[in-house]
Amino acid sequence: MKLDPRTKMVMVLCLSGLALLYNTPGRLLLLLAVTVALLLIFRFDPGAIGSYLKPFLSLMVFLFVIQFLFSPSGRVLLTAGPVHLVTTGGLLTGAGVVLRIMVVTAAAMLLTTFNARDFILGLVQWKVPYELAFMVFIALRFLPVFRDELVNVVTAVQLRGIDLKKVPWGQKIAMYGRLLLPVIYGAMLKAQRLAVSMEARGFRVYPRRTYLRRLEFSRADYAVMLFFTAASVALMTLHFN
Amino acid sequence: MSFFEIDHVSFTFPRHDRPVFTELNLHFDRAVITALVGPNGCGKTTLTKLMIGVLRPAGGEIRLDGRPLAEYSLGEIGRRVGYVFQNPDLQLFCGSVAEEVGFGPANRGCQPEVVEERVAFYLDYFELKDYGGVFPLHLSQGEKQRLAIAAVLANEPFFLILDEPTVGLDAYRKRLLEDYLKKIARSGRGMVLVSHDTAFVDRLAERVVILENGRVIEDSGRKGKAADEA
Repeated sequence: MKLDPRTKMVMVLCLSGLALLYNTPGRLLLLLAVTVALLLIFRFDPGAIGSYLKPFLSLMVFLFVIQFLFSPSGRVLLTAGPVHLVTTGGLLTGAGVVLRIMVVTAAAMLLTTFNARDFILGLVQWKVPYELAFMVFIALRFLPVFRDELVNVVTAVQLRGIDLKKVPWGQKIAMYGRLLLPVIYGAMLKAQRLAVSMEARGFRVYPRRTYLRRLEFSRADYAVMLFFTAASVALMTLHFN
Repeated sequence: MSFFEIDHVSFTFPRHDRPVFTELNLHFDRAVITALVGPNGCGKTTLTKLMIGVLRPAGGEIRLDGRPLAEYSLGEIGRRVGYVFQNPDLQLFCGSVAEEVGFGPANRGCQPEVVEERVAFYLDYFELKDYGGVFPLHLSQGEKQRLAIAAVLANEPFFLILDEPTVGLDAYRKRLLEDYLKKIARSGRGMVLVSHDTAFVDRLAERVVILENGRVIEDSGRKGKAADEA
């Protein structure tokens, strides 16, 4: 289905908004199913969905464990002395957090089903200043770069002879903690270099920009936007009542 | 038995039609300095990445010290093989130059005084002593290259793979690197050099393998022993 990039942005906003609002695994699972179905409608490669989610796997496992350990409620399933280790409520909260990350990540994949030029054009036609639209686009483009950077660091660490699987968790967390700041700072340096490179190639050299192409909404766009907005408002109202 | 055996290896990048290698056979011995040369895009870097397990072959097998590479974890490979990336930015991840050099030894259980000694030695040898507390990505390209090499050498691996190690180095630093690599070779540790620097290759390599379009078009075999000249 061919839709305007702005329509897809509205869809992403609605899906992510609902994911942040919902906190029960049942509803979040349904939302995930809808998001995946939409990705398939937009001919997103099903294998790619898994590969996009894979880098977040360790974060999801970590959050799942943290949530079920520190939000005990409901029936106790496992105890360690006086401490309730696993509870039904904790498991549900953990599953909810994991599903929420999956929905938001999967919804963001919808933004990759159109090209960057259309993304900027769409925002500019919504009267977002070009500089701001470009910044949002660069931020989105930097996410995979940042992910690759983390993958590179983990590879480089292992190639120095550190077997991460054998390093005890405490030591591993301390090691990652120490490495996180240099990685963030490294990404900032790259962003700074990118800014210099953009200026050097004439970014913002003229006060007014012109565009060769204009995006036009079709009837399908209006119908989809209306449906998603109305459905989201209705579901949100139902949730709060 | 060679240290590295590349046996009928095939590899194609995902979403690419053209294979980089089809049934490639090569071997690298432990105590030999081998140069891997060839035009841009012929597969030199890809081959080295296959050799350290960062990329996986689609067909065939790579054996390290007689064992299939697939049976090793990256950490186990890293303990045996030191790899210097083409782009040093990819392998510098610590908060300071000194920490970068000491990272491997410190995390592999060396005593603090040994770590300190190694850090001092390599910073001194690669003339980075004055930059010990500096953030690695603030260094110049040549300094980053020296740091990446120092950080790998501080690990004292059995074998080295250096991808374009002379990029960004001035003539004097190239000579320093060359002397050190000869010293390493004398201690019985081999290496694979990927380089376009013909003078450096001529002075150092005992064997030259020329790749073109993913195929070996010439293999000089082992000639003189560069390590003996040092």
